[in-house]
Amino acid sequence: MYHAIVFLPLAGFLIAGLAGRFIGARASEVITTSGLFVSCALSWIAFFDVAFGDGATRVTVANWIISGDLAVDWAFRIDTLTAVMLIVVTTVSSLVHLYSIGYMHEDPSRPRFFAYLSLFTFAMLMLVTADNLVQMFFGWEGVGLASYLLIGFWYEKPSANAAAIKAFVVNRVGDFGFLLGIFLLFVLFGAVTFDGIFPRVAEFNEATFRFLGHEWHALTLACLLLFMGAMGKSAQFLLHTWLPDAMEGPTPVSALIHAATMVTAGVFMVARMSPVFEYAPTALSVVTVIGGITAFFAATVGLVQNDIKRVIAYSTCSQLGYMFVALGVGAYGAGVFHLFTHAFFKALLFLGAGSVIHAMHHEQDMRHMGGLRKHIPFTAAMMTIGTLALTGFPFTAGYFSKDAIIEAAYASHTPGANFAFIATVIAALFTSFYSWRLYFLTFEGKPRWAGHGHGHDDHGHGHGDHTPHESPLVMLIPLAVLAIGVVVAGFAFKEAFIGHDYDNFWKGALFTGANNHILHEMHEVPGWVVASPFVMMVLGFLIALWFYVLNPRMPAALAAQQPLLYRFLLNKWYFDELYDFLFVRPAMWLGRVFWKKGDGWLIDGFGPDGVSARVVDVTNRVVRLQTGYVFHYAFAMLVGVAALVTWYLIGGTH
Amino acid sequence: MQSLLADYLPLVIFIGVSLVIGLALLVSPFIVAYSRPDAEKLSAYECGFNAFDDARMKFDVRFYLVAILFIIFDLEVAFLFPWAVAFGDLGWFGFWSMMLFLGVLTVGFIYEWRKGALEWD
Amino acid sequence: MAAVPMFALAPALPEIVLAASALLLVLIGALRGERAAGLIEALTFVALLVAGFLVVTQGGERLETFGGSFVVDAFARFAKVMTLVGSAAALLMSGDFLRRAGINRFEYPILILLATVGMMMMISAGDLIALYLGLELQSLALYVVAAIDRDNARSSEAGLKYFVLGALSSGMLLYGASLIYGFTGTVSFAGIAQALQGEGHAGAIFGLVFIAAGLAFKISAVPFHMWTPDVYEGAPTPVAAFFAAAPKMAAMALLVRVFITAFPGIVDQWRQIIVFVAIASMALGSFAAIGQRNIKRLMAYSSIGHMGYALVGLAAGTAEGVQSVLVYMAIYLVMTLGTFAFILSMRREEGPVEGIDDLAGLARTQPYAAYGLTILFFSLAGIPPLAGFLAKWYVFAAAVEAKLYTLAVIGVLASVIGAYYYIRVVKIMHFDDPAGAAFTPMSAGQKVVFALASIVILILMLPGAPAPLNGAALAAARSLF
Repeated sequence: MYHAIVFLPLAGFLIAGLAGRFIGARASEVITTSGLFVSCALSWIAFFDVAFGDGATRVTVANWIISGDLAVDWAFRIDTLTAVMLIVVTTVSSLVHLYSIGYMHEDPSRPRFFAYLSLFTFAMLMLVTADNLVQMFFGWEGVGLASYLLIGFWYEKPSANAAAIKAFVVNRVGDFGFLLGIFLLFVLFGAVTFDGIFPRVAEFNEATFRFLGHEWHALTLACLLLFMGAMGKSAQFLLHTWLPDAMEGPTPVSALIHAATMVTAGVFMVARMSPVFEYAPTALSVVTVIGGITAFFAATVGLVQNDIKRVIAYSTCSQLGYMFVALGVGAYGAGVFHLFTHAFFKALLFLGAGSVIHAMHHEQDMRHMGGLRKHIPFTAAMMTIGTLALTGFPFTAGYFSKDAIIEAAYASHTPGANFAFIATVIAALFTSFYSWRLYFLTFEGKPRWAGHGHGHDDHGHGHGDHTPHESPLVMLIPLAVLAIGVVVAGFAFKEAFIGHDYDNFWKGALFTGANNHILHEMHEVPGWVVASPFVMMVLGFLIALWFYVLNPRMPAALAAQQPLLYRFLLNKWYFDELYDFLFVRPAMWLGRVFWKKGDGWLIDGFGPDGVSARVVDVTNRVVRLQTGYVFHYAFAMLVGVAALVTWYLIGGTH
Repeated sequence: MQSLLADYLPLVIFIGVSLVIGLALLVSPFIVAYSRPDAEKLSAYECGFNAFDDARMKFDVRFYLVAILFIIFDLEVAFLFPWAVAFGDLGWFGFWSMMLFLGVLTVGFIYEWRKGALEWD
Repeated sequence: MAAVPMFALAPALPEIVLAASALLLVLIGALRGERAAGLIEALTFVALLVAGFLVVTQGGERLETFGGSFVVDAFARFAKVMTLVGSAAALLMSGDFLRRAGINRFEYPILILLATVGMMMMISAGDLIALYLGLELQSLALYVVAAIDRDNARSSEAGLKYFVLGALSSGMLLYGASLIYGFTGTVSFAGIAQALQGEGHAGAIFGLVFIAAGLAFKISAVPFHMWTPDVYEGAPTPVAAFFAAAPKMAAMALLVRVFITAFPGIVDQWRQIIVFVAIASMALGSFAAIGQRNIKRLMAYSSIGHMGYALVGLAAGTAEGVQSVLVYMAIYLVMTLGTFAFILSMRREEGPVEGIDDLAGLARTQPYAAYGLTILFFSLAGIPPLAGFLAKWYVFAAAVEAKLYTLAVIGVLASVIGAYYYIRVVKIMHFDDPAGAAFTPMSAGQKVVFALASIVILILMLPGAPAPLNGAALAAARSLF
């Protein structure tokens, strides 16, 4: 069964990727999508088997690497955490496949698209089923590759290529840390399998390691390095810049990769490594603080963005920050729960946004929307559900998970948790505001699209009128399914993920240290803490309502009144400019130096090209000696004799 | 070394004698000759045709050919003299050696004759 | 003086046969005129074969005649066989070219024959006078041969240049010889060697420099090489083919014999001359050839370079060094003859061509010729495992054993640079588009020489195949020490 779950997407990728040209686009779609649905169904079976039964197991596929002390099997580690990730990945992925059939139906290279989607799913499944760090890294890089390919799917767009490269490069920074972390763990434990590491973590609590000229607590260092990888993959503060740009990819890709699955790989990894992180309190503090900053920072930027997908992208960034706050304070269950619910409502929002974009003929700027509720009522309804869940409306999925995180942050004793609590509460206000702003700008108010025409790109299609139209059924079904999930997933799984069934559910897949009572404490926080997210949500909703429905001139006036702040937020805190100055330009300068001076001057000047050029110079000179005049020739002979005689005169004759 | 140089004494004497004779012939006209130059007398001496140009002029290549052919037989004679002087001591081997030498030269002579090198036109 | 028994001249029998043949053929030519050209060419070839047979059957011991002026030892026999092979091959492949060019005079084979007699005398020279006689006999024949196409200004110019510079080099040689004689009191190599034992022979070394200059001219070593490109290009191609092979072999043998047998006591002194000349030749041969567009000029610089490599072996001054020189010269002879066999066949309907660019696309128009030529050029470049590499390997190994590391390193570097122009020709043949019509078919003689040369080079690649050659060369080298 687990083989089928993991390898069906791979088979789909190989068929669509290698034979897509011969079997056609429709066959590629059907094969990959049906493969994913089978995989998804099996995942749910596995989930119930593992989480509520007794199905946790380890499946060895093959021996992979045996080199000295390093022995790596290719194996599936199936426990509750994996099972949760399996259903998240396969469910969202299968729905995105289905949705893409409608969304991409005008694209000429659909087999390639579906092949990439399946490749991504396979890599993600490899990541979440990993039994060891090396296999996890393989999946980690695999999703990076698939993400690169999908962001740059429309490779004829320079911006898409740039975004793909940016995503790849920024992730590489994180991956480097991840890799170093793996190395360090191997040095410490002599193993890369989880079974080889987790039971022995306590033994190494006092271990130190010398790195960058400083004596470190080895486990803390390892965790920080691992978290560096997670920061890259999950777009945390400082390494977040690639995520908004990644919206250059097709919208289903954004939903699949940049909302539901890949970006949560970092969260998953930290949760998976919880037995190690529990022994590294400093690292946990760092995780908490970074998570809090990200949650706050991304939310502020989301306030002023105009691109519908970018708003959701920053929202994703911000929600990932919440998850890391949960992990950082030790509430791994809450973090994974939020990962789980967020996957559904964020996928719903993205796919809904895709439906809007589809309806608007690939117009993404919210300033050119408005009043769409009347034209695409179903999408509007689905978006409403998604928005409610995101803002934490009572009894939706987001309500349970997000409030749990805020409560855990309040209850935690981890240094930095207080800051994280404040940051997440404020971020909740912003979340509510920008979510409703998105909704109001898009669906309410007067239509602003009549005079602007639509963003006609190469997807020119034969509609005679430019009236927004509801998306086809194949796109709406996934929305509906996700919406049901969003409504149900919260209270259905609350008890299991973070409530009384915690131990039965996780069965030790998430490790909590002996002093970690956060699950207990988070239920005993004061009433105002429990109420605060709800208050923030309502406040945000009211402000948005006032700004964008009741008094539409207000935002412009405010922006005019606070130009500095507005520009600061609009330009994403100038991070791109900062990185451009700090890294990109020096790197380009260095590259140019190596190119012009290193390669052009040094290698070409003195290396092969230079040598051959000098040879030709010498040749030209030598050839000129051959004048054709007999007296020159005779002169050369005499000079030769004279030189030899002189040589001996001066001292050659010992 | 000393005896080696002594071997060359007759040669030095010979060079000295030829030098004296040559110089005597060159110098004596200036002392004893009656000098009365005219244009004809001052013009360059040419053999076979009237002098009409500078002495450093181009010659017909046939002059060189004849000169070279002459040198060959001149050399032949130069070898024959000492051979004739010492003939009594040389015996048959010496005789046949010279015959071979003359034969080789004769082959060359036949060749140049047949090639027409001896004809002026 | 007692009568010399005729059989005492037996060691010189091959030379006597050749000389007598030459006289006879001159008579035939003189009497029958140009009609006899074909007959004379054939008889010359036969005479060369007979001489070769006589050389081979002379046995292995050292023979002397003419009072020690004429020495026949294993070294002389090895060199003479190679020289005769070179002359015979040059004759075999040039007839067709000369006939087409209208310069198939009956004198040409006879001059080759006379030059060959001269070369064989050089090889067997046992004193300075025999050396000079042989050298002049060879040179005088070659002067005429270079200008054989006397109605062609370029050929005449080549002949004249060669003559003037050759006369200069002969003068130097004679001056050197007289200095040597003056300081040692003898002209016999053995006597000179005896006189030069011990310390301090500055005068003799002066003489040695001049003799070296005269001989270096004959093998066209830098800086006495200047005539080579002009003569190769100006003279008719068969003449260039002849110049590149047999005379080089003979002059190199003479050089080796003079230095090894007459000056063994002052190896350290003359080694400096050889090293200087070798480096200069290798470098100039490599660099200057790159700039050439004419295949004959290219081969001229190629031969200059190859003489440099061969001298590396001589610089070692050991038996192994001499052995490597002989092996090198033998392989060089084969490669050069094969290459010139092809160059002689480079002819389109409108006449012979000599440009390297004319070889473009040869692999498509004449694949067999292209592959044969590729083998030869790779071998000339010294690409392993071809024979040319073996040859270089031996000379460099000998130099290394004599602790001449710098010389060996420079040699390797020069051969790397030199490989460029050989491989460029191969590239032009195989990868460029054909520049024009295919060449007219090769004559039978050219085919034989070309195919044999290619096959010999290929066979020498086989394990164990070079052993007989090495053995003969070693025996030859030992006979000098």
